[in-house]
Amino acid sequence: MGPLVKSSPGKYKIVQITTACQAAKKRLMMLGVLVGDEIELIKPSPGPVIIEKGGTRIGLGQGMASCIIVNKITKETK
Amino acid sequence: MKEKTVILTGNPNTGKTTIFNALTGLHQKTGNWPGVTVEIKEGSFVYQDTKFKMLDLPGTYSLTSFTEDEKIARDILVKEKADVVVVVADASNLERNLYLVMLLLELEQNVVLDLNMYDVARDKGLAIDVNHLETILGTKCVITIGSKRTGIEALKQAIYDASEDKKEVITKINYGEAEEQISLVEKALGDISSPYPIRFLAIRLLEQDADIKAFIKTTPVYQNIKEVIDAVYNCFPDIETYLIEKRYGFTHGVSEECTKRMDILENRIKLTDKLDRFFIHPFYGTLSFLFFIWATFNIVFNWGSPFTHLLEKLFAFAAKNITSLLHSIDSPEWIASLLTDGIIGGVGSVLIFLPNIFILFFVFAALEDSGYIARAAFVTDRLMHKIGLHGKSAIPMILGFGCNVPAIMATRTLETKKDRVLTILATPFMSCSARLPVYLLFTGIFFQHNRGSILFSLYLIGTFTGLLTAKLFKSVFFKEESPPIIMELPLFHAPDIRNMLISAWERSYLFIRKAGGIIFFGVIIIWVLSYFPLSATYAGEDSFIGILGSKLAVLLKPAGFGYWQAAVALLFGLVAKELVVGTFGAVFGGEAGITAALSSLFTPLSAYAFMLMTLIYIPCIATIAVIKQEAGIKWAIIATIWSIFIGWVVAVLFYQGFKLY
Repeated sequence: MGPLVKSSPGKYKIVQITTACQAAKKRLMMLGVLVGDEIELIKPSPGPVIIEKGGTRIGLGQGMASCIIVNKITKETK
Repeated sequence: MKEKTVILTGNPNTGKTTIFNALTGLHQKTGNWPGVTVEIKEGSFVYQDTKFKMLDLPGTYSLTSFTEDEKIARDILVKEKADVVVVVADASNLERNLYLVMLLLELEQNVVLDLNMYDVARDKGLAIDVNHLETILGTKCVITIGSKRTGIEALKQAIYDASEDKKEVITKINYGEAEEQISLVEKALGDISSPYPIRFLAIRLLEQDADIKAFIKTTPVYQNIKEVIDAVYNCFPDIETYLIEKRYGFTHGVSEECTKRMDILENRIKLTDKLDRFFIHPFYGTLSFLFFIWATFNIVFNWGSPFTHLLEKLFAFAAKNITSLLHSIDSPEWIASLLTDGIIGGVGSVLIFLPNIFILFFVFAALEDSGYIARAAFVTDRLMHKIGLHGKSAIPMILGFGCNVPAIMATRTLETKKDRVLTILATPFMSCSARLPVYLLFTGIFFQHNRGSILFSLYLIGTFTGLLTAKLFKSVFFKEESPPIIMELPLFHAPDIRNMLISAWERSYLFIRKAGGIIFFGVIIIWVLSYFPLSATYAGEDSFIGILGSKLAVLLKPAGFGYWQAAVALLFGLVAKELVVGTFGAVFGGEAGITAALSSLFTPLSAYAFMLMTLIYIPCIATIAVIKQEAGIKWAIIATIWSIFIGWVVAVLFYQGFKLY
């Protein structure tokens, strides 16, 4: 488990969005990304990250990516 | 013929513009929508016995009042009471696109759902069961591929059918545990008179919608509602998130039920992955961004000049023939002077740059349509944050290269007031296409061998001045930080030629209209001031314009161009920056006269200083008006004074600094 900004490409489940990004959380929800969702990290940091959910790719600045706590989905957890 | 109103809405990046263009063709105009002064595209088409008037709303993800765009979209939906609302949806992401559909159904709109970009969905291995979707939603659904104009007739038919047969909205989301709270608020609202349905109001109030709250404040039930909502929040603190999650739960369910997954053909997705690694890479991304901007201006210049020369010859030919014609019928000399010196000389010297304007907007549309512009926001995000702007500020600023007016309106997608104001202040320094004729004129005379690079340097200096302005004003007026950047990145695809042509034509048309309107009248005033008093030589120092200009010229002396002609040109440039060239045209008697006159008045050094001044010194009247509209009179005044000041300072520093070498 760790912030998205430090993760490598792969599939993740969003565990939490920290309070530092409370305002941006709503914005993320409008784009269809909610806590508990499964996402794929396509392009990791450095620089902005790109995630994909439901066929849409969304770019996130590093600040936002450090607020999103994710859990790697391995074969066992599935 | 019957007339019906249709509103076109949808998420950003769903090909909404392509659908709008496919439906209305060239029957469209950008008009101001009454009530809110906002540019809304309007078009129309005829189907069977009915004329459909179409309004194209800005793309939005929801109908809360999170951004200015969403507020505008919602206001128009409520006030217009359209016969049909078409939602253009990305068929490959039904779940998120249905979210907006559900909000529209809560607003009790007569919805037609257009499942667009169906080819992309197919590439991703998705197939949608349209009949099933229609049954669940109770709305008409149509499949289209806008880029290939597939399904457009079916869409027209669906719009027609829906307009003839308005059904009650039958689909409602069950908000589970929150239903009790919703009905509590509904009861407290009673039979309040509002343009919104009661249930819609209740849900928005529970979601803390600032605009709806403000509306309720003006009604007598406010006190009562406030108590009810406070009570709800006491026992159900995260009801806001809960409601959004429930709505997504519903759309997720519908999307799963109606979508079949098959084999994936991921070519386009793989290509986008590869391109994205490059285009938003901290180093290569920045490099390619600069390259694109540089290439754009080279294309504008190189492709445009043959056509420009052609127009130049055409106007010279016209002027010559009109003169000899008037001479042969013994008309008074002043008529010939007005027509050739004033109108053809002035308006003509502006109009010859039409090809450049067309190409600029053509290339811009390509950058936008292909999905590149969104990447540019990420490339510049880090720099923008350092300056105190938002990553997304880059988009209005880049659009500013085209025209500052729509660019300033584009700041509506920014979420905080601070980001909006700072971006609005920075945008006028982005060199718009109206300033281009001035550079083209001067580089053509003084910098023939490196016109492209000189042009590029001016755009860089303008951008830099804009960023510096934002930084300065941020540190003086604003303390808070920008929210982090979050943006959808559409898949890369080949830009649609038709969209590019329509966009380029639209802006060219505005340019021609401007030349026939404000520039035409400006030129006549300049001619009158140049022709009178009768004792003076035309546009001589003893004419009215010469006397006026000489007074102002004193101020410009330190910048190296203390001539009355330059002063007058800059003064009239305030009305529209094309008039800087228009004034030279009228004063020096057309294209041919300009070249000779300017080479004797200016040196390369003072010519560059003059271009700097034109670039920075003041936004045109239309831009000042739009700043006032979007940010208030205070910022409009600040922007005007600041830009005159900094423009003068930069021009003087440049001239005095390099004079020594």
